[in-house]
Amino acid sequence: MSALPKRILKETERLMADSPPGISAAPKDDNLRHFDVTVAGPESSPYEGGVFKLELFLPEEYPMNPPKVRFLTKIYHPNIDKLGRICLDILKDKWSPALQIRTVLLSIQALLGAPNPDDPLANDVAQNWKENQSAAIAQAREWTRQYAQ
Amino acid sequence: MDMSSHPLLSALDEPAPFPSQYPQLRRLDRSMVCQICKEPFTGPVTISCGHSFCSACIRSSLEVMKKCPSCNETVTEGSIRRNRALEEMVDAWEESRPTLIDLAQPPRKRPAPPETSHSKASLSSGVKRARLSPTGSANASGSASGSRSGSPTKSRRANDVVVEEIDENEDDVLELTENDEAPCPLCQATMPISSIPLHIEKGCPPPKAKPKSNGVLGKGNQKADWKKVFSGQGLGGKTKEVEMKRITKPNYALSSPADLRAILSEYSLPTTGDKPTLQSRLQEWIILFNSNLDTSHPSSLSALRAKLAESESSKRRDKEKGKDEVVNQLASKDGLAKYASVKKSEFERLRREIIERDKRRKDAEEGKGDGKENAIEVE
Repeated sequence: MSALPKRILKETERLMADSPPGISAAPKDDNLRHFDVTVAGPESSPYEGGVFKLELFLPEEYPMNPPKVRFLTKIYHPNIDKLGRICLDILKDKWSPALQIRTVLLSIQALLGAPNPDDPLANDVAQNWKENQSAAIAQAREWTRQYAQ
Repeated sequence: MDMSSHPLLSALDEPAPFPSQYPQLRRLDRSMVCQICKEPFTGPVTISCGHSFCSACIRSSLEVMKKCPSCNETVTEGSIRRNRALEEMVDAWEESRPTLIDLAQPPRKRPAPPETSHSKASLSSGVKRARLSPTGSANASGSASGSRSGSPTKSRRANDVVVEEIDENEDDVLELTENDEAPCPLCQATMPISSIPLHIEKGCPPPKAKPKSNGVLGKGNQKADWKKVFSGQGLGGKTKEVEMKRITKPNYALSSPADLRAILSEYSLPTTGDKPTLQSRLQEWIILFNSNLDTSHPSSLSALRAKLAESESSKRRDKEKGKDEVVNQLASKDGLAKYASVKKSEFERLRREIIERDKRRKDAEEGKGDGKENAIEVE
């Protein structure tokens, strides 16, 4: 095990002792850079009632480089693709070392509450979302029921 | 919570936070923390937008992107300025933090004064004496005690005794200063007059040091303190051969491995490895070295070298271990399914936790508006 920066230890401890509402995260036993995460679907979104599994990995360069996060639970969302990859600016060019695991997970939860079909990652989902929003939302709700409950 | 006993987290030694009834102290505590490393500033510097970070933190961050981590404004390394006032503040805060934490704790239960002290009414000093008198006779000496408003006259054993102070010789009393010594009216322990009220407040604990040697002890401590100050300052004395001047970054694209080796050897650093290795070693060294010039508590060059060696070997170990293996595995559908099945119980546990906690929070919120603190913490 390589020496972990103190910041990661600190973040982990705070995250486990006092995680934000609807979010929990715990590091794997053998690798403190690799977290198992669950995020509850926000209220009054099509994902309400679902609990989504994610995995989060802190690269060697963290916090200078962003964590790698992806969904493990299937989800119908214009900004999340089949492989669970997430289109979120702070995970890419808008990353800042002042951000942390907590803020990243909160942003992901917010993304569930506010899908953005104009900046799509899953093109078919985004198109459906734009053309027939109510059908897309119904689909998202159905997937939540099927895979996230 | 059982999770905080994670074997890999045991190394963490966190200073205790301030109790939640002191939000202003918590805020002050947070303001001393660098937004990059989340630790109290080490060698704080300010950049052109006005935000401050540890020198090493912002230098590493600017290697990756030329933006302020807090406000996203474009900044260059040239705008880094040492912030001496902030450094002094952080130092002073770190020094006073334990005291403030102590003061912020709820007051401990006062121990009852020792029973025997009441029966012993022996008087040692002729200047000032205390007498235990039955409640009935309090009026007789009322005028004498009334003239000294600051003296402790309240009764600790209310049932039958009242403590009265009687000045036998008024002229002598007037010459007393706060530093003079007198016996405690309750337990007769000798101590400076100024500390008697506090001593009684605490319930007459036995004095820690012999009052007589107090002055001598104080001087001795002072001497030792000064010695500490001077020896602490003398740390940088060994490093004469290297010029303590900011290193200018070489143009890595145009530098040959030999050029990089020349700079590395100038600072007595290893010159092994290929160009990328040399480059990353030099980059990290420049960050360590330059940021070391931004603090009043610089590390020795050998300490910096050790730090560099440690981070390099740590990086190498990570690479050999193939950390991204798991991440790569997750990119394929089979790998993902496999991972999900292996970790099923873990996720189940997290899931239960999330649901339970939400329920608890909701219950609490119904009781009173509790969600406010969290909203602030989110930043």
